[in-house]
Amino acid sequence: MRPAVLPALVLAAMLAAGCGGEDAPPVVRLAFETEPATSDPAFAVDFSSGTIASLVHAGLVSFDEAGAVQPDLASSWRVTGDGLEWRFTLAPRRFADGSPVTSAAIVSSFRRLLSPETQSPRWWVLEPVAGAAAFHGGGSWESVGIEAPDDSTVVFQLAQPAAHFLSLLAMPAAGVVSTDRADSLGAGYGRRPLGAGVWRIGTWREGDVVELEPNPCGWPRPAVRGLRFRILPEAMTRIAEFETGGLDLLEVPRAELEMWRTAGAGLLSAEELRVVYIGFRLDRPPFDDPRVRRALNHAIDVETIIARLLFGAGRRARGVVPAALRDWPEPTERYPYDPARAVRLLEKAGLSDGFEMAIWQRDNPEGGRILESVQAYLAAVNVRVRLVTREWGAFKEAIANGSADAFYLDWFADYPDPENFLSPLFHSRNRGGGGNRTGYANAAVDSLIDLAATLTGAERSACCREAERIVYEDAPWLFLWFPVRYEVVSPRLEGYRIPAIFNGQRWTGVTLEGVGE
Amino acid sequence: MIAALGRRLLQLFPVLLGVVTVAFLLMYVVPGDPVLAIAGERYDEQTLEAMRRDLGLDRPLVVQYLSYLGRLARGDLGVSYVTRRPVAETIRERFPRTLALAAAATAIAVIAGTAIGLLSAWKRVPWLGRLLMAGSLVGVSIPVFWLGLLLIHLFAIKLSLLPPSGYGGGSLRHLVLPAVTLSFASMATIARVTRAGVMDASLSDFVRTARAKGLAERLVMLKHVLRNALVPVVTIVGTDFGSYLGGSVLTESIFGWPGLGRYIVQAIMKRDFPVIQGAVLFMALCFVVVNLLVDCSYRLIDPRTREEAS
Repeated sequence: MRPAVLPALVLAAMLAAGCGGEDAPPVVRLAFETEPATSDPAFAVDFSSGTIASLVHAGLVSFDEAGAVQPDLASSWRVTGDGLEWRFTLAPRRFADGSPVTSAAIVSSFRRLLSPETQSPRWWVLEPVAGAAAFHGGGSWESVGIEAPDDSTVVFQLAQPAAHFLSLLAMPAAGVVSTDRADSLGAGYGRRPLGAGVWRIGTWREGDVVELEPNPCGWPRPAVRGLRFRILPEAMTRIAEFETGGLDLLEVPRAELEMWRTAGAGLLSAEELRVVYIGFRLDRPPFDDPRVRRALNHAIDVETIIARLLFGAGRRARGVVPAALRDWPEPTERYPYDPARAVRLLEKAGLSDGFEMAIWQRDNPEGGRILESVQAYLAAVNVRVRLVTREWGAFKEAIANGSADAFYLDWFADYPDPENFLSPLFHSRNRGGGGNRTGYANAAVDSLIDLAATLTGAERSACCREAERIVYEDAPWLFLWFPVRYEVVSPRLEGYRIPAIFNGQRWTGVTLEGVGE
Repeated sequence: MIAALGRRLLQLFPVLLGVVTVAFLLMYVVPGDPVLAIAGERYDEQTLEAMRRDLGLDRPLVVQYLSYLGRLARGDLGVSYVTRRPVAETIRERFPRTLALAAAATAIAVIAGTAIGLLSAWKRVPWLGRLLMAGSLVGVSIPVFWLGLLLIHLFAIKLSLLPPSGYGGGSLRHLVLPAVTLSFASMATIARVTRAGVMDASLSDFVRTARAKGLAERLVMLKHVLRNALVPVVTIVGTDFGSYLGGSVLTESIFGWPGLGRYIVQAIMKRDFPVIQGAVLFMALCFVVVNLLVDCSYRLIDPRTREEAS
């Protein structure tokens, strides 16, 4: 037995396969942290599933990179003056198997999404449509306001005006599936979808890689020959792959940001449509007292946390709507870092001895560091915080069943519209699973959000602005920040920009250096 | 021998039934609701209720358990709540990769481990023995995660010899780093046990006899010393190989290796009951089968166990 067996094995393996790195293929190489659960629009609820679903399926409309709604299956649309009837005229398009995307096919796909038999958790995308909720609850399809008067027109009748309706139709869930395929494959549709998107699935190797190739009938035509999404759960591995030329794009973890900032080349950044906060259970004392909630907001130096723990990758949240989504000025600062004021407010609320509370978080090292610092800030005003860490499943259940008094959480936009922050998070109708996890209820905010849905332009903005101002003043949250996302691209990838909303990047505008059509 | 094997095979059933039952019950004891994972971040109670009904989660625990056993008896592992794919199909797809990694790691551990153990037991160079044993202590203690990253940094980033991660469609180059990483702790243990076994056996009467009758030293080592020293090594190999077959979460995660370990961890995160139960059962099955094989191999290596059993 020779001692050099291990190096010999390594060497033999390398010789057997040739030592040089393989030539970079003419496809964009990307990574997912988790494998997409499905590509079925009706069941895609996580980031990677939604991404694949949107690349493979086209909706009536879609988001561009900047987050604006653009034509897709529909070439144009118009809405009646009362905002109730939306009429879409279809472009001549085909599914990836060559069959035409008719208005009947689109209606059939929407019917599948809404049907109680499908049990899609995303049926609410069509909730504004008249009769949709009733049909989902077991009512008849005839009363649903979706129809196809001719082969190239789809008409929606809404129950009430919904200014964000177009944005809903650009969500992954509203992607049009071939119901023939979906009916014949059942649950198997998730891996063998048939849509009219820019891409179609080439190879899907379980847990390893999802490869997309251009849909021969798709529109617009991409300039690159494919997209390869590798499943790489570890950030350090993704970095190593990027450094060795195995990936064309890398989301830079915040802890690694300094290194890439000094390296300089290819670093992109964009403020995410996401807000990070600590929510309070508003029905529990002492959080039912707004003075207490305001005191906690004064007690924490959020700017310092952003600078030190996020390495500057965030912007202080004054309010709840990300800057990119509002055309009104940010609310004026109400909660400057002022521990003395926090103590005074707590005294006024009858808590001069402070109190004890628990903040729940999901298992995550960065979140842990942030909450330890929050804990220290609150200790300075005599609020004794216990941190409770659970993995995602248990954490989510604790918030859902109300066992968490306060929780560190974030909210990602489903579509780039202020409504997507105000309504799910603060409308009393959405308490619980709808997104309003604190149980916030304010009649004035409810009616402003409802009114905003019926308006457009400056009037709508004024309503949203006022609703945001009231929420900010009521302080149902400890307002933290809007995160900034950093990505680096390989030198060969050109024309890429970070999309405003995750399904706004369809890879039709990128090219790879040295790779032609 | 055949009768003994049959008895052992029969004993597997209660073990597996126990595993199934514990895995089933644990899922309902730990907090976390599977339908919350399916529903995403924005859902309504009505949909959740419908999902629970459809998945049968609203039925009494006993009914769920019995229907699960019924399905198992028909060889049906169920369908994942999250991906809606049959569990058996996914295991079939992922298991060969886990098997490849486990086999490679075990081969490296056995070959390198026994070699290091033999070398360090070599009396003529005592300092080498101490050095190798110190090295193996490091090997046992080194965290897999750190070792993996270190190897990636060295062999992929600095030396550009091997790919940093991935399955590469089964290419050997992709297998090297994860297999070495996974083998490390086992290799170190095998080295230590081999050394102890060799030193023990060298002092025994039968070795002295063998030497006295003029047998060549090489033959003494191979036929008498090593064969006796191998018995505990086989135990280690069996246990480690059996557990590798269930997937090695850390190694698989670091190297983006699409094996069973990550599949199970993801399923646990999402409370994907059918996947957890199916995968745990499969892991247990692998483990007991490997153990059975190890027990059989004792009979081949060590004549005494043969006599005791018969």
